[in-house]
Amino acid sequence: MGLLARSPAGEVAVLGGGTDLLFDLDMARIAPKRVLSLRKLPWRYLRWEAKALVIGSTLPLGALERDEKVRTRLPGLWEAVRDVGGPALRNRATLGGNLGHGSPASDLIPILLALDARARIVGPSGVRELPVDMLLQESRRTTLGPAELIESVILPVSAPSSYLWQRVQPVNDISQVGVATAVVPEGPHWRIALGGVQPRARRLSEAEAMLRSVRPSHFEVELAAQEAARRAEFVTDKRATEAYRRRLVTVLVRRAIQTTLERMPKAWPPRKGAP
Amino acid sequence: MNEGPLAFTLNGKPRRFERVPDAERLLDTLRWRAGLKGTKEGCRTGGCGACTVLVNGEPTLSCLVLSHEVAQEKVTTIEGLSTEKVGRRVIEAFAEAGAVQCGYCTPGFVVALAAQLGSGTPPPSVETLLEGLEGNLCRCTGYCAIRKAVETAREATR
Repeated sequence: MGLLARSPAGEVAVLGGGTDLLFDLDMARIAPKRVLSLRKLPWRYLRWEAKALVIGSTLPLGALERDEKVRTRLPGLWEAVRDVGGPALRNRATLGGNLGHGSPASDLIPILLALDARARIVGPSGVRELPVDMLLQESRRTTLGPAELIESVILPVSAPSSYLWQRVQPVNDISQVGVATAVVPEGPHWRIALGGVQPRARRLSEAEAMLRSVRPSHFEVELAAQEAARRAEFVTDKRATEAYRRRLVTVLVRRAIQTTLERMPKAWPPRKGAP
Repeated sequence: MNEGPLAFTLNGKPRRFERVPDAERLLDTLRWRAGLKGTKEGCRTGGCGACTVLVNGEPTLSCLVLSHEVAQEKVTTIEGLSTEKVGRRVIEAFAEAGAVQCGYCTPGFVVALAAQLGSGTPPPSVETLLEGLEGNLCRCTGYCAIRKAVETAREATR
């Protein structure tokens, strides 16, 4: 961290799992003087707390994927993790790297937003914690200071969730659109977050507001899907046209809400004081 | 960029390389410094699986690893696997099933499959094994023969 603090901006590139950074180096999108790998830091952990899961930022995604409790308790996160590359890539890629890179096409950021994830950040002036939403700024740009690192990501574990995506298979592994949904016991209940949008992944509060209860009607779900398509800012790029993405979002939002509803236990949310 | 010495365990033996640049990939160190050409360079962007090796026993894309990151760690390549029982059986299964056409993707498939078959008994289901190969691309065989090889290898290592 001393190295980061001493060096001018852009001179040191921070390496998480390398799946984005090494590509950017090859393409000469960046030209750092040094590369700082976080691999040997003791941040490869997964810690279950009473109401939260703390994921060390350098833990490979493969470790998340193989954790049975992640699959059953955070199905949306598990699905998003599974959507990233193949197994040998997931043994390399990290959640911290994906978040720090801040790509609008990230498959992990939408579910972090939907689950109200927080990032724990260490830097020269100490430790701070902030919602993932406030960490993201624009495409591939975060509010991280030049000498700050993401140490861990903290996720509440009680929310049923899902993540759905569409991509150009088998041509390209990058999602055209990704939709994460989650529902929490306290109102307003629903979270809908989109990836593949510009300039960054974001929650769609206008669409969320259409879902007025834990178990919304078909009509409300439809309104939310339409509203999401109307509000999201898409662009046309090599992966999809703007119009196609808009159509996709309607379908994916509808399906993602339904999937989350199917995952909700019968007696949910649990009554206060109940075990 | 700087350079410096690098030591790690390669196929069970301690190896040391001098003056390895900071930005060198494990893939290049294996092929050009260690002379182990079994590990292939396909896309070099983490998309094809041809460069898969084991790092501490886990399938890892060597094109996405900087060599200095594996300092003091254990790397196993296709050459190392070919001297081990499970690796041998997987290689034989690929040969028997004719799951090799141009052969460029084969080492990556073998490493990714052997890692799954070597990591405990009983072996995972064929479907699980195939999911473990979803990051490996083959542009010749159409995957039917590879599937056959997976089934044969699974039977052979039970």
